[in-house]
Amino acid sequence: MKAVRELAITVRVNGERHELTVAPSELLIDCLRDRLGLLGVKKSCDVQVCGACTVLLDGRPVSACTVPAFETRGRTLRTIEGLADGEALHPVQEAFVEHGALQCGFCTPGMIMATVALLAENPSPTADEVKHYMRGNICRCTGYQRILEAILDAGRRLAAAPR
Amino acid sequence: MNSFALYEPTSVAEASEILARHGDTARLYAGGTELLLAMKEGLIRYDYLVNVKTIPGLTGLRLDADGALRIGAATPHRALEREPAVRERFPLVARVESDVANVRVREVGTLGGNLCFAEPHSDPATLLQIFDARVRCETARGSREIALGELFVGSFETCLGEDELLTEIVVPPLPARSAAAYRKFGVLERPSVGVAVAVALDDGHVADARIAVGCVGPIPQRMPAAEALLRGRGVDEASANLGEAGRRAARAAEAVSDLHGAADYKEHLVGVLLRRAFDEALATLGAGPRR
Amino acid sequence: MKIEREVTIGAPRARVWDFLWDVPRLAACIPGASDVRAVEDGKRYAAVVADKVGPFRVKFPLEIVVLESQPPDHLRARAGGRDTMVDGLVKVDLDLALADAEGGTALRLAADIAVLGKLGTLGHSVIVRRGNDIVDRFTTAVRRALENEDAA
Repeated sequence: MKAVRELAITVRVNGERHELTVAPSELLIDCLRDRLGLLGVKKSCDVQVCGACTVLLDGRPVSACTVPAFETRGRTLRTIEGLADGEALHPVQEAFVEHGALQCGFCTPGMIMATVALLAENPSPTADEVKHYMRGNICRCTGYQRILEAILDAGRRLAAAPR
Repeated sequence: MNSFALYEPTSVAEASEILARHGDTARLYAGGTELLLAMKEGLIRYDYLVNVKTIPGLTGLRLDADGALRIGAATPHRALEREPAVRERFPLVARVESDVANVRVREVGTLGGNLCFAEPHSDPATLLQIFDARVRCETARGSREIALGELFVGSFETCLGEDELLTEIVVPPLPARSAAAYRKFGVLERPSVGVAVAVALDDGHVADARIAVGCVGPIPQRMPAAEALLRGRGVDEASANLGEAGRRAARAAEAVSDLHGAADYKEHLVGVLLRRAFDEALATLGAGPRR
Repeated sequence: MKIEREVTIGAPRARVWDFLWDVPRLAACIPGASDVRAVEDGKRYAAVVADKVGPFRVKFPLEIVVLESQPPDHLRARAGGRDTMVDGLVKVDLDLALADAEGGTALRLAADIAVLGKLGTLGHSVIVRRGNDIVDRFTTAVRRALENEDAA
């Protein structure tokens, strides 16, 4: 068996198929930002603590800053850019906007992606369940209250009209 | 992070041979949630990473005929958090697993990886010792099973040989009429003190007591000297001994003063958390504290 | 972190003092030190220090400067080094005091050790424990070297 220094992978990002050759040490965040131009994935703490780089890998939230790009081979990836349907915002995005659940907006893509994953897994979470799930997404601006309200409201919206 | 070459073996034997061939220039890679961080920080470098996720049979969990939980080493924390079998039969394990880091780390990081990285502040590494958990370690030449407590040799150091893989964690059920509790405290990213307690009662007596303390010493460990103050005693006497049991445990852990707290503060915290965990376990058994 | 130790050495004060200036023999007592040499006798010394915690290794050049020397009582030195591979900086302020004691000489060591940079992310607990361990091994080695010399 030989060790490889590059891998040819196919990954579906926001519905679009990409064929890439990646080094094993290439991180997903650099691949998404620098090669695919998806700047909604934010490099913030770089140590998996803040959640600003949250993306959904087969629907599961992962830290793009610490996942190697090759781990996405044959899988589907969703970033903030893949949520809206043209001009129509995703219900989670709508809830965040209407509840004023963002100020500088830097943590917001990660917050929203984590919320999408949470509500897919648990469509009617309690406030405690939301807080537990979202514990790894940090916001410097809002104080979290409006984010919590937006998430609970988004749950209700999605229950009414699932996406 | 330094450039490395990737191996993707499809058997334990193959992985073991790769490790033997490359020595300390190669390392096993599962979720990478601790390993890759250390590599990104430049604290460590490896020329080769050996992906264990491509080896079938290392992920997943099941209950065996004795009611023990058998967990593949490459099973993510999130599976332990969510699997009905774990939540029903080992609720404390599910709860502590659900508190590991954050949801993204739990989706990717594995229990085996956590134990093998041997970071001294690991909650699962402390908790599982009160279940008398064991781990299976394999090489190309054979396998052995050891008590989890034997795995940890020092901070970031396990007893695993250079070519050895941790493949399975076995968590036996607690004896009948037992309850367990886990308490931790800290204000930094990782906790400063973690205490796990399991208590078995028999007619008003503490038939068995198991205490594990983590974060305080270089490794998480069981505290036999503290356990001796509880085992075989009546509940009231055991309760009264908790302060001294806490002191024995803290001294056995050889607490040092650091950013997590002064050594005597940690000693104090061990006693407090031990008392709270013990009382919680008793309450679960319907034998609340009488003071 | 501040570490203090006191050890009683079964040897007269003058000999303990001389030992502190016997660079090769003193260096042999420092865990992980090698390539010790005098850059300027009595004033500046250099060494290479290597250590590891689990899989994490450091190796860096250490520069030692003697700040104050009052034979045969007191010695103050400062040491510093940077590990370029790991981006870690180590700074040590060392104070050694000798006094006559029953059975020989009391050696009092006070070290103020700072570990900065990425190395610090290993965890403060680990670094404090290692610092204590190194100082313990150093003082034990000094005592043994001097007491065995007696027996020889």
